[in-house]
Amino acid sequence: MLTPKELGRMNALEKRIKDIAEEFGLHTTEIDFEVVSARRMIEAMAYHFPTNISHWSYGRDYDRIRTIYEHTGGGIPYEVVWNFERPRAYLVANNPFALNVLTIAHVFGHVDFFLRNKYLQHGRSFADIAEEARHAAVKFRAYEDSYGKDAVEKIIDAGMSLQWHQNLDPFYEEQDEETVRTYLMQTERERLRALQNLSPTARKASEAEKKAIETRLKALRRKTPPEPVFDILKYAIDRAPLLEDWERDILRFIRNQARSLAPNRRTQLLNEGWATYWHARIMRRLFDEGLLTAEEHGMYLDFHAKVTQANKGDLNVYSVGPAIYEYVKLRWDKGQFGREYEDCTDPLKKEQWNTNAMKGAEKIFEVAEYYTSRMAAEEFFTPEFVHSQKLYIYEAERDEETGEIVYRIVTRDPEVIREIFKNSYTLYGLPTVAVVDGNYSDRGEWYLRHHYHGEELLPSYRNGVMAHLYYLWRRPVYLESIVEEKPKLFSYDGSRHSEST
Amino acid sequence: MPITVPDVVAERGKADARRHRDKQREAIRKRLPEIISEEAIITRREKGKVVKIPIREIQIPIFRHGSAKGRAVGAGQGEGGVGDVIGRRPGPGNQPGKKGQAGSEPGVDYIETEVEIEELIEMMLEDLGLPRLEEKNVREIIVDLGYKIRGTEHTGPYVLLDRKKTAKEGMRRFWHMLRALERDSGKDELLCYCALKQSGGIYAEALKLLRDKVVTEQAKEIIPFPILHADDMRFHKIVKNTALHSRAVVFALMDVSGSMDTEKKYFARSMLFWLVEFLRKLYERVEIRFIIHHATARLVPEEEFFSTGESGGTVCASSYELVDGLIESEYPASSWNIYVWHSSDGDDFYPDRSVVALKKLFERKINMFGYCDIRPGEERGERASGLLNSFVEAFQLAREKEGNLPVYVSHHEDVPLLGLQLRQKEDILPALKAFLKQDRWEE
Repeated sequence: MLTPKELGRMNALEKRIKDIAEEFGLHTTEIDFEVVSARRMIEAMAYHFPTNISHWSYGRDYDRIRTIYEHTGGGIPYEVVWNFERPRAYLVANNPFALNVLTIAHVFGHVDFFLRNKYLQHGRSFADIAEEARHAAVKFRAYEDSYGKDAVEKIIDAGMSLQWHQNLDPFYEEQDEETVRTYLMQTERERLRALQNLSPTARKASEAEKKAIETRLKALRRKTPPEPVFDILKYAIDRAPLLEDWERDILRFIRNQARSLAPNRRTQLLNEGWATYWHARIMRRLFDEGLLTAEEHGMYLDFHAKVTQANKGDLNVYSVGPAIYEYVKLRWDKGQFGREYEDCTDPLKKEQWNTNAMKGAEKIFEVAEYYTSRMAAEEFFTPEFVHSQKLYIYEAERDEETGEIVYRIVTRDPEVIREIFKNSYTLYGLPTVAVVDGNYSDRGEWYLRHHYHGEELLPSYRNGVMAHLYYLWRRPVYLESIVEEKPKLFSYDGSRHSEST
Repeated sequence: MPITVPDVVAERGKADARRHRDKQREAIRKRLPEIISEEAIITRREKGKVVKIPIREIQIPIFRHGSAKGRAVGAGQGEGGVGDVIGRRPGPGNQPGKKGQAGSEPGVDYIETEVEIEELIEMMLEDLGLPRLEEKNVREIIVDLGYKIRGTEHTGPYVLLDRKKTAKEGMRRFWHMLRALERDSGKDELLCYCALKQSGGIYAEALKLLRDKVVTEQAKEIIPFPILHADDMRFHKIVKNTALHSRAVVFALMDVSGSMDTEKKYFARSMLFWLVEFLRKLYERVEIRFIIHHATARLVPEEEFFSTGESGGTVCASSYELVDGLIESEYPASSWNIYVWHSSDGDDFYPDRSVVALKKLFERKINMFGYCDIRPGEERGERASGLLNSFVEAFQLAREKEGNLPVYVSHHEDVPLLGLQLRQKEDILPALKAFLKQDRWEE
């Protein structure tokens, strides 16, 4: 537990950190820091919000983080910060003092990113989601009493299964079907008018086209959705014929929560990178000013080294994230950007390129402001960067002799790696699936389409999601996709999965 | 002040974590046929009761990329060239011989969940729809343990006199008499005492002494002494000491003729392992005797049982006859529950002789005779082995089904026979279920 003296010192340090952050050019605001138990922090990590609904998947994450923390001593929970109107963060009471100071510094980095980055600014418009989660926790318990625990769990499962299928554009303004329909019909009518203005001979030739437009216009009157939509949950909430009100309410909450968390997911690499980049500089300054003892600074360095360690099996955002900013800073300071630099083919000349442009500081703030992880991967995962970070792609293989799963490096090709990262950062690496028809075959069945870009859907998971789709729609569901380069139509009718070509 | 210490709030994670673990248990239950045939469980060296089962965390399915054939892909950082191995971990459902796909579900780590064998058995029983095994299902046997003292009685030889109890009775009588003398004579306590003492503890005499006023005994205080009548004698009661014990012997019989290869022995071992685990739950004491046979049979230690590779003809009757002898000399059915479990590929030279030997075993009132017809990979169905066919004919066995597994049972109480055709690993669970059902029916 923190002694009153320590608490006093920590408050003084927090003030100083805020000043230093401002000197570095970071945006700051009042942040509520709460000193809590490790378990409370772990709960917050698993449940995403200070209070949230009850669900086994949160329990699973809680169990995993807690087990790692309590049994291995690793995975010290040290960082939870929320992008609320007034940002809120946790400190763990029994974490070492130096670690809590680091957390404060790290949180100031995040808060700047919240205030600066366009996507997270957007995320702040969902600031009341924490409040909504708090209410939902109470309300859902009442639903459990009325409709049964299982029924509540099933609808949450189904919602979570589809929650990341949001509109591809995070800034997309929602439109109701009627608006879209009116717009589409107007477009078709204009095409029709254009045909009528043609010369008589040309008009005759375009008779077939006219017919087609008329058919489309007729269909448009009843078609739902008028054009494919990617927000699957929203469509289910609005249109699923047999959902009950309380079920729609649950789905609405899940969707809102996912939408509020989406900007974080899209920028995680840059966000963690930014916070780590700045906490290192803030901590060094505190030490230089004599505000941290040598012992505390040593402890911080140990911890920092652990957190930023390269990971064999996963991309560590605390390692690669800050490296991006270091890399960008260096290049833009040396003037290694622009047409002339890009077009230069002499590797030696490129390496020694230095115009003393000193644009680094400006550029990293620009990256923090406008970029998503995907954009950063596209622009900065250059061969030079990929090599310096020792990035590779590995595959898992089954060793037939021992039955073990063996992980093997398959490529270090920077181009391949960049492509893979770009894709994995586009919509969280999820396949794009759109709702095409809510009244398929005029039987009120649900038809969705997977937009194939060279990668198939994993069958076991696909069937699992189909079952959830059925649970929402309660009538047969269809999914169009591509398997071995041939179109396939998968369906599920509540008891049987089938497929046709 | 921006840094505050809020009030402690209730923990919420635990209940949800429990729900997840319940779901995992459910997942284990679904994989039971695969799990119980895991070679690692039954061959493990240490005798611990806990097995580790690799099991996934339960995931909410999402649409994700990856084909059924594709291999899992991930990104990492570090040294190493293309083709270098950066790590390995135990595969899911380590099934030798079964061609698996490399984790087609990337990024999902298996966590090792520890499950007690007992828990697995409970799951199998639940799966079977059987309630927990209770003692009433078990045949208890009276075991003679010699003699023991159980209470006291009024008569007996002097050597068994319970001195303490007898003295206590005597003292009680003393006080009773004293009070009666006071009442009947109207004299004071001390005088009554003196009279009693003078009379040597005889009431009528003491009363007479008092009435005649001829008490000569003098005393300053009452020192009680026991007055013993025949009624007051207490002797230790001796009873025969017996106890109700539940114990069983399993005769594990295995054909080790040339045709019994490693795989067949694996089936035999697997069945036996679970059988014994079940019986251990049921009985306080379980003994296992291992017998191997080809043309002749002999008792062997456990290690030899599974490692012996011999050749020669197959005369199953030789092992049944050996069991018969052992029951007669060491394991009478009156004090043992007897299970005989025979694993063979059923190419018996003299099936008729086996039938005769088996009939003798049934006459000895054994609990059950199980026959495992082990022919991995073969089609099952009507094409039972020669030996199984002979049993079916001789004992008029009915062909029933446990799941997809055909089982051969008799509906005669005198013929506790269970015939099984093991063809693949997945048969082991239904085979065990069939065994459990039969055993209870027998009871």
